[in-house]
Formats: sequence, structure tokens, C-alpha cells
Amino acid sequence: MSASWLLRRVLLIAYTILVVSLLVFGITQVLPADAAVTLLGENATPAALEAVRLKLGLGDPVWLQYLRWLSHVLTGDFGVSMRTGQPVGPEMFAALSRSLLLAVGAILVMLVLAVPLGMLAALRQGRLVDMFTSLVSYLGVSLPEFVTATLMLMLFADRLQWLPATGYVAPLEDFWDSVRHLVLPVLTASVILIAHVARMVRSETLDVLHSDYIRAARLKGLPEPVVLLRHALRNALLPVVTIVALDVGYLLGGIIVIEEIFALPGIGRQLVVAITARDLPSIQAGALIMAATYAVANSLADMAYAFLDRRIRYD
Amino acid sequence: MTEAFRRLLRTPQGALSIALLILLAAVCVAGPALAPYDPEQIDFLGRFSPPGALHWLGADQLGRDVLSRLLVGARSTVPLALLATLLGTLGGTVIGTVSAYLGGRWDEAIMRTIDAVMAVPGLLLALLLVSTLGNGSFNAAIAIAVAFAPGMARVTRSVALTVRNQDYVKAAIARGEGGGWIVFREMLPNVVAPVVIETTIRVAFAVMLFATLSFLGLGAQPPASEWGLMVSEARRYLHQAPWIIIAPSVAIGLTAIAFNLLGDGLRDALNPRDER
Amino acid sequence: MNPVLSVSGYTLDYVTSGGTHRALDDVSLAIAPGEVLGLVGESGSGKSSLVWSIMRHLPRNARELQGAIHLGDTDLRRATPKALLGIRGRRIGMVFQDPSTSLNPTLTLGRQLTEVLVRHRGFSKAAAWQEGIELLRRVELHQPEVLMRRYPHEVSGGEKQRVVIATAFGCRPELILFDEPTTALDVITGARILDLFRRLRAETGVAALYISHDLGLVSRIADRVAVMRRGKLVEEAAASTIFRAPAHEDTRRLVDAVPRPERRLVFDEPSGPVLLGARDIAVQYGRKTLFRPAPPPATRNVSLDVREGEILGVVGESGSGKSSIARALTGLAEFRGGIRLGKRPIAGVAQMDAAYRRAVQIVFQHPDTSLNPRQRVGEILGRPLRMFGGDAREIPRLLEQVRLPASYAGRWPHQLSGGEKQRVAIARAFAAKPALVICDEITAALDVSVQASIIDLLLALRAEHGTAYLFITHDLNLIRQIAHRIAVMRRGELVDLLAVDALQGESVHPYTRELIAASPTPVG
Repeated sequence: MSASWLLRRVLLIAYTILVVSLLVFGITQVLPADAAVTLLGENATPAALEAVRLKLGLGDPVWLQYLRWLSHVLTGDFGVSMRTGQPVGPEMFAALSRSLLLAVGAILVMLVLAVPLGMLAALRQGRLVDMFTSLVSYLGVSLPEFVTATLMLMLFADRLQWLPATGYVAPLEDFWDSVRHLVLPVLTASVILIAHVARMVRSETLDVLHSDYIRAARLKGLPEPVVLLRHALRNALLPVVTIVALDVGYLLGGIIVIEEIFALPGIGRQLVVAITARDLPSIQAGALIMAATYAVANSLADMAYAFLDRRIRYD
Repeated sequence: MTEAFRRLLRTPQGALSIALLILLAAVCVAGPALAPYDPEQIDFLGRFSPPGALHWLGADQLGRDVLSRLLVGARSTVPLALLATLLGTLGGTVIGTVSAYLGGRWDEAIMRTIDAVMAVPGLLLALLLVSTLGNGSFNAAIAIAVAFAPGMARVTRSVALTVRNQDYVKAAIARGEGGGWIVFREMLPNVVAPVVIETTIRVAFAVMLFATLSFLGLGAQPPASEWGLMVSEARRYLHQAPWIIIAPSVAIGLTAIAFNLLGDGLRDALNPRDER
Repeated sequence: MNPVLSVSGYTLDYVTSGGTHRALDDVSLAIAPGEVLGLVGESGSGKSSLVWSIMRHLPRNARELQGAIHLGDTDLRRATPKALLGIRGRRIGMVFQDPSTSLNPTLTLGRQLTEVLVRHRGFSKAAAWQEGIELLRRVELHQPEVLMRRYPHEVSGGEKQRVVIATAFGCRPELILFDEPTTALDVITGARILDLFRRLRAETGVAALYISHDLGLVSRIADRVAVMRRGKLVEEAAASTIFRAPAHEDTRRLVDAVPRPERRLVFDEPSGPVLLGARDIAVQYGRKTLFRPAPPPATRNVSLDVREGEILGVVGESGSGKSSIARALTGLAEFRGGIRLGKRPIAGVAQMDAAYRRAVQIVFQHPDTSLNPRQRVGEILGRPLRMFGGDAREIPRLLEQVRLPASYAGRWPHQLSGGEKQRVAIARAFAAKPALVICDEITAALDVSVQASIIDLLLALRAEHGTAYLFITHDLNLIRQIAHRIAVMRRGELVDLLAVDALQGESVHPYTRELIAASPTPVG
């Protein structure tokens, strides 16, 4: 991993943010919302509205507004929420940290469950474990998060009363209560990931098991556990890194619904609220931060992959 | 094509998916005729009736028959999900093929931009678009189509690039064929199969996304009997009347499973290497 | 003396959904201590099945009907899985065909070499490492200490195969199975591996079963040669006699198909005008980007010309740039330099008009990708026919020319064998009635007997149409049978361009001499 490779990654992230900022700004420009009306309310006098518009530069050409917004964003100033009057940036980053708790939790749960499940299915191809994995995969990828979430709520919070239905408690405040509140959202978010990744791990493992070097290892007289652990595992898991990275995008989308259902004040919920309220600065900031998170996560995954797979040389 | 269909039916996923899809198609066509009640008929006395002889799947918070709402609701989900996927595929295929055909710097620029757009989660992009276009089923479908296009472009391009490097395409270039012949006669027939498979699996996604948008209140609007909306409206009564939630959930799941199974079945059936 | 390996009356079936397929039919053979038995056969003859039977690594659908396999006194068919762990790698070593896939990409070479030493010879890790270095030195690898810590992708193919060989010899087995160990390597690298094999064999006196499709190669390194065809052992003879006096008809066919430079197949000497001239052709793939420099050019300043009706051979190893010349001449790659077709100068791809493209046709290496899987044979041939002034009624005649039945017009490519696909590709080239056909390694993926029939076909077509060929290959023996002149390429440059008779002369480039020395000609 050379400096020029790192530079390339950084440039790609920058380009991603540029494209996304254009996209988000473009869409929000068309939004049927008058910032001045949103700020002052329906009963404001035309003169007051005009004054605000002038102050916000709403009369300027679109490109000028975009550049002004972008230059503020680059200095960390995401503007002021039209809904609460508070600066958007700190609010969004705080929400992001809560969402990351959920996302990282879901990825961990997925890794713990999906990887062994997929490998087991490959080793016992056509047997009960394999069929079970396949059933889980089909169910998982076919149920939208709001369905899974509602069913989980129905079972664990309503019938069994094991876990709280909604809400959020900060980990530093009361760790165990925080965990209890996070269990259902994390499980919901991990279902689709588990389904997808277990399937990929299964097919990757099958490919590796049929490879020449696994045959060679067996024909060297190595016992099966050594063949599997030393020779197969690492090669089967390598592509999973890439798959997980791509799934982060899906996960971030799922988080929007999951946070809404479990009343978890993360960035997804902030975005839904902002969209319903037509709070332009919040929408723009939220979408941009989410996309940047995805881009950074992908770059990290690429680096992890390069570190694990020495065949790839980045020059 | 008939041969491929026969092979599809021979795979377990294929047979199951075709059975489910025939059922689904029947419900879409004849749903209202099959429905025992008017799906919007309110009956305050029958509120929260559990499943039984009168209401096979029970009645909802307004006493509407859940089965009737399900049967009619198929119409407001499945055709729009199909439309959204088709539009997204069309757009994505054009972008992907053009990018692969142009090659070089243009290809690089287009693909980097597509990658960047894909950093916005599909659901978020759809949400933003719907809020711009205005709530409603048709706008939701358009939003899903736009959200799908980048992913489809990527898939099409990678398939097209593989095909472009095959020797039969080189043979066509070497004998001086024009771009039209190369793209439409040599490349496209070989690009179609993988794109069809990807599209099929995306219909399942579209069904789920569409229901999700309705669930969030941005897709179908009440009193429509759209499945996602049904779940959303019934959420408050999950303690009293879980059947109002379970029925549409199962409907969404089965529909998505049907298309996922079909995609996997097609993957096996359309592989020309096995065409012996 | 008791044989090291004995197989007697062994019969093996594979059960598939289409029925039962007999892979090995009453096979019997024995290898004495210190002996090398060569096993020759074309693809599908059952030689791989025999290897998997000996190694007890059969697929699930295999059914062993009868016969016995003994390693010394051990009945391998009765060996328990646990006993097999002590036999594989310990008593039978194995060298695989392609070292780039048979080595694990994520483990160091040292790790993969020493794990058998730790397992079978009871070494500690440190002792195994020292022994590993010693073993690498014995297979003539430089700086073995450094190599031990390398990953497979960091070393060359020849070095990888040496590590595999060191591993196979590492536990001093009684028997080593060699499964086409040089097929995936370049000619010169392969020849050096064979030298190593001979030396190690002389030093250790190990018995070996050497499997190959190349009768010429096997006859030079084995004591005895066994020939397989369709699961049966059709002949077994001393290596020194098999070429001189093949007893069985199948063996004779194989012997005849082996390319031998002294047996010329072309006797005329074209003296016509130059058909196609290429001056200073340079091909460059990829370009400099912001992040990486441009790759080195694929070819530099290559000049050659082909006379009317001439066969010009182009030889070189993989990466020598010979295919890039084909791509430049057919307009598939941008190039610098000039081409002249007859008297017409062609400055670049843009100037290759219909007349040029008609005159210069190409046939590719891989039969599987050279025909569009979604077009029937009739469509594949009909298009160039119509393009170049013929019509679809000529399809049967065209098929007949390449010795395929006219009914093949209705077939899909996947319904054809590799040789048949290549015939269709040749027919497609001849549909244009070309003056020059560029053959880019067109027989490399085919069995020798199929190769011989394709060569035969090409020569017949040339006799009929007077076509010139630019024949690209890595097989020097083959090209010496048919070419009038031979161009030798290395690292993108033309090192030699001389008449085929001059190859034995004094004035050839040292590299050409090395290439000749590395191309095994059959003994006898």
C-alpha cells in the first residue's frame, strides 16, 4: 500500500462527496419548500419573508447557492436546522454515533452467525444444515426490515416481554439498559446481512474446497482439520470483506426504517424527520454524512482486503 | 427459450417460483373478483375480529376484511414494483452498455460517478426523490427506478466488458463489422441472460422497497390496501390483533421469495455451458 | 524384486445422470523400484482417473468395480482414511500440473514446504525450516532462505514448480506421481524442470509415474511407456522402442501425430511477391495515468513480411508479443508503424477497409470463446459470407471444405467438440476467401491427434486456395514441419527471422538455439 494508492483512495472519497453533494443539493433544490416560509411560518408578512430570502441568498443563482453551501460544509458548517433553529452539524454527528453503534453491532452479530453458518453449509452440502441455511437466506433477503422489526417487536417485546420495545439509552449512562434497548434493532438490521453473507460464504467456501491447492493439501497427507483451518478458511473469508463493505450501503438504508420503528434517535431517524418537515439543511447534511460514511467504510474494507490478500499490489 | 423454460421447471427453485408467481398473477388479475368483501367497507362492530369462518384472515381496526384487502392489495404493489424494476433496468442497461462501449477515460469517469451515487443508500435516494416528486404510488415507483439504475448500470457494464473481450467479438471487429452489429447481434444476446437474472432478483427488492416507502407514509396513501401500508396502520394494534400485521407481512415475504427463487432458477437454467 | 506400485485388473465407472461412464477398463500396470513409467493419453483417456484411484481421491460418483492397487505390500483400496494420511505425502509424493493453482496463495512457500516435513518426518518447526532451505537448494533455487518467506505470487512459475517438486521429494517417498508437470510452463522453463527431474531421479532412485499427453516428451524421460485410450491400456513398451515400432494401431496414430521437425509436411517454395509487409510495428496497451506509469510496450519495432502462399511461423514464449502482432495486423490493437498489403500502404487501424479485412483473416486460440454461443453454426458462417460477396447457399460447401457434415449448420457451438469448433472458426475465416490467415496458437488447446488433423486441414486448404499463413505458436517442432520461414520473438522484439533450413546453422541468435534445445524431439 503505497502513498499513491492512499492518495487515490482519498481522491475517490472526495469525488464521492462531491458527486453526492451535487446530487443531494440538486434534489433538495427541487423540493417544494420555501425556506423562508419554513423559517417564519405561514403567517409571516411578505416583507419579512423577502428580508429572510435576501439574507439567506435564496434569490441568487443556484450554482452560487451550491458553492456557498459547499464551502460552508467544507469548513464543518452544515447550517442551521429550519425546524429546531440549532446548528445541524453537531446534531447529525451525535445521531451518527448512535447509528454506528447499531451498524457495528449488526455487523458483529452477522460475522458471528453468518460465517460459521455459511461454512458449515458448504462442508455439509445438501445436508440438513445446508438446507436450513438456504431457508434462512431466502427468508432473510425476502423480508423488508419493517416486517422483521414488527415481527420481532410482537414476539420479544409484546408476547414474551423480554426486551423494551422502543427507545434509546446511552451506553455511558446505563450500559446494560443500553444493550437491552439495542438488541432488537441490532438483530433486525443483521437479518438481511446474515442471509446475504451466509450465502456468499457458502459459495466462496465451495469454490475454495474445489480448488487445486486444497486438493494438493489433502494429497500431501494433511489431516482434514488442518486442511480446513490452515488452507481453506483464510481464502474463503477474503471475499467476505468485500461483500460486507458493499452491504454497508444496504445496512445504512435499513437503518433508516429500523431507527424509525424502534424510536432510536440515529441519523436515519433524523433524516426521516427532516424529510417530513422539509428541513433542507438537515436533509443535505444527513444524506452527505451517510454517503461519506459509506465511502470511508468501503475504503477501510479495501485496505483490510489488501492487508489480508498479499496477491494484490497497489502501486 | 422453451428449452430454457423446461430446464427452469426442472430445478426445485424454478418450479416453486413458477407456482408462486402463477398464484400471484392470478391474484393480481382476479383479486377483486375473488375478494369476499369490499376491501374498504368499514364495519365498526366487526373490528378486530380474529380469523374465523366470517373473516378467514380476520378483520382490521376498522372492521375491514383482511383477506379482501390482501387480494386487492396485490394490484397496488406487484405491477408497480415490476414497472419500477423495468424502468431502472432499462436506464441502467443503457448507461452500462454505453460506458462499456466507450471504454477508456469515459468509462472510468462514468463508473466512478456511478460508484459515488451508490454511496447514497437506495432507500435514502428513493426517500429524497419521493419527497421531491410528492407522495404516491406512481412517484414511489419512479423513485425506485432511479435508485436501481446505478446498480444495474454496474452489473450490465461488467457483463458487457466480459463479453466484449470474447474472441467472437474480436472476430467481428477484425472482419470490419459496424458498431451496431457488434453491440446488437454479437454482444447483446450474451449480455441479456445475466441482466435478466439480476433484474428478476431486483423485482424482489422493489417489492420490499415499495412496501417500505408505503410503510413510511411516502408511497401508497390510505385508504389503499397496499401491503406495506397495511402493516404500518396495524402496528399500533400489534398486541390486540397480530393477524392484521402477519397477513400482509407473509404476502410481502412470499412475493419477494417467489422472485428470488425465480432469479436463482434462471441462473441455473440460462447458463449456456449446461445446455447439453 | 517386488514392484513399488502394482495395479491389476482395475475397473472404474462414473455414475452420472446420463448413465454410467467407464473411466478405466481392466487396467494393469506395475512400476519397479527406481523405474519411471510414462503414462500417455489424450484428454479423457482415463490417465487422471488412474491418478485419483492411486491417491484414493475419487469423486463421490466413482464406482470401483474390480481390481487391486498395491503400494509395496499395502493394499491401497483397503487403506483406512487414517492410514491414508500416512501414505499421501509420506509414501507417495505428487507434483501437479499447474503450480500457480496447486500452491495456496495465502501461505508462504516455506510454510507449504515444511508442513509436510513436520507432519510426516516429525521435525520441529525450526528443524523443518532448515531442512526446507536444504531441499530448495537441492532443486537448484537461488537464495532459498529468501524464497522460503515468499508468497507464491511473488515468484515465477518455474520457481513455484521447483518448490512443489521439493515438497514431493521432501519426505523421501517410494513413489512420485507427476501429473503433466511442465504443461503449464514455458518451453525453456519446462525443459529445465525436466533436467531437474532427471537429476533428482538419478540421485534418489525414486520410482515415478509420469503422466503426459506428450509422447515425445515421455519417451525421453521414462524407462517404459504405457499408452491409454478410452480407459484401456492399449500398449506398454520400452521407451526406446515405442517410437520406432509402435505395436498397437492407437499408438501408431499417436506417434504419427507427434510433431517431428525432420518430417516436413510442406514441400513447395513460394517465390511470389510480398503479400503483406509490416514495418516497425509497435503495440502499446494501457497508458500512463495519474497514478501509475504506462506498462512496457507489448512489441517494439517488429518488421516482417509474408509472401503469397507462404507459411511464416512466429514462435516465442507467453508474453513475447507474438499475439500482439496478430492483433495489430487484424486491427484489434492500435499500433505504430506501417503495414503494406500488396502495393497499398496502411498507416493505421482506420485505413483497414473492407478489402484489407477480407484479405487478412484470423483464427483464435480458444475454441470455446471464438464462436458466439448464441448463434448457430449457419449464422456464424453466413454473416462473413454475405459480407464478403458470397451468399448463404455456400455454407454446406464451406463446411465440407473443413470436413464437417453440412447438417452442422443447424448446430449450436456448445454441441461441438473443441476440434470441431476450431474447424468452424477456420471455415469462418475462409468464408472471406482470404489471401492471408493469421493462426494464433490455434492448436494449443487441442489434443495432438486433433492438432495433426487441423494442420492437415490447413495444408489442404492452402493447396486449394494458395492461402498464406502467419502461424503463431510456442511449439517449435510443429512449426518446423510446416513453415517456410520462422520468426523468433522474445520480450516484444524479433530476435531472428530466417528460413527453416537455417535454424540448424551457425548464424542463429543464442535464444533461438536455446529454444531448439528445449523442444524435446522424440527418441528413436
